[in-house]
Amino acid sequence: MRYVYRALTLLGGYRAQRVMGAATLVGLAATVAIGLFVVPPDASQGDVQRLMYVHVPAAWVAYLSFGVVFVASIAYLKTGRVQWDRVASSSAEIGVSFTTLTIVLGSLWGRPVWGTWWTWDPRLTTTAVLLLIYVGYLSLRKVADNPIRRARWSAVVGVVGFIDVPIVHMSVVWWRSLHQQATVLRPGEPTIAGSMLATLMLAFVAFSLAYGYLMAVRMRVGRLEDRSSLPVSELSTPRARRPRPVESPIDGAVGGVIDGALDGAVAKASPRHA
Amino acid sequence: MHDVGYVAAGYAVTLVTLAAYRWRLAVRSRRARRYVSTSTGRATTGAAGRD
Repeated sequence: MRYVYRALTLLGGYRAQRVMGAATLVGLAATVAIGLFVVPPDASQGDVQRLMYVHVPAAWVAYLSFGVVFVASIAYLKTGRVQWDRVASSSAEIGVSFTTLTIVLGSLWGRPVWGTWWTWDPRLTTTAVLLLIYVGYLSLRKVADNPIRRARWSAVVGVVGFIDVPIVHMSVVWWRSLHQQATVLRPGEPTIAGSMLATLMLAFVAFSLAYGYLMAVRMRVGRLEDRSSLPVSELSTPRARRPRPVESPIDGAVGGVIDGALDGAVAKASPRHA
Repeated sequence: MHDVGYVAAGYAVTLVTLAAYRWRLAVRSRRARRYVSTSTGRATTGAAGRD
């Protein structure tokens, strides 16, 4: 786990961030150019099928984001290190953006093909539930009154909420659905033409890069916001001299100064509070 | 021709969403950095392990 977090930290470096930002721009520009002007239109749907090159990768990034929330939440519950909470909250925020984007793009695709902006189809409904779960996750983070409790509660939601991701993916198999079956992430060969598949793969790479880039930036913002939420007296204290966060063994209330976001360690219980 | 409008709207929504989120992060970063540097008198980048 330590090495995974170290790798994430390296990705958050300024140089890595700039390279990733440039690669994201190039990838997205190539996706737009090829998706709109190079690859041929679909035989039955025509030009509107070109929305696949943004709709499907947006859904993929949403799955990826919530997968990262799931792993980071387990890591937080196991280690108590606040960095994992920051990874989870950053990824959840990005996941909510991409899930919203997926729904909007699906709606734009559904109108000309299905004749409706929205229908209570299993895939659409489970995706809406997924969005609500992670909007709830972010709301929970706003209402929890201390950082340790906030991190623990949201980690539990981050683990439990992930159950909906395989349900969303399998909904078109398990229930009768208006939504088409999976074309790439399915058993057997993909069911689309080679040039379309290549464009879709390019879009997957571009959107994954966008996720990596936004994660790196969001993690940096998270560190700054954690610092800015400290009392001024603590901000000017060198990190090594700051008191460790202490949680009361009685009711989970926090005693002392909450600073887990900065030194990355959460004290389990203090003799002072026993 | 009508379909092209949906496609153009979809691609525009995608790019605008990504750009808007990146801009929002820049605003949040600037605000937090300003608060920290005003409070401590030192500039900060938010880089891991440095502040």
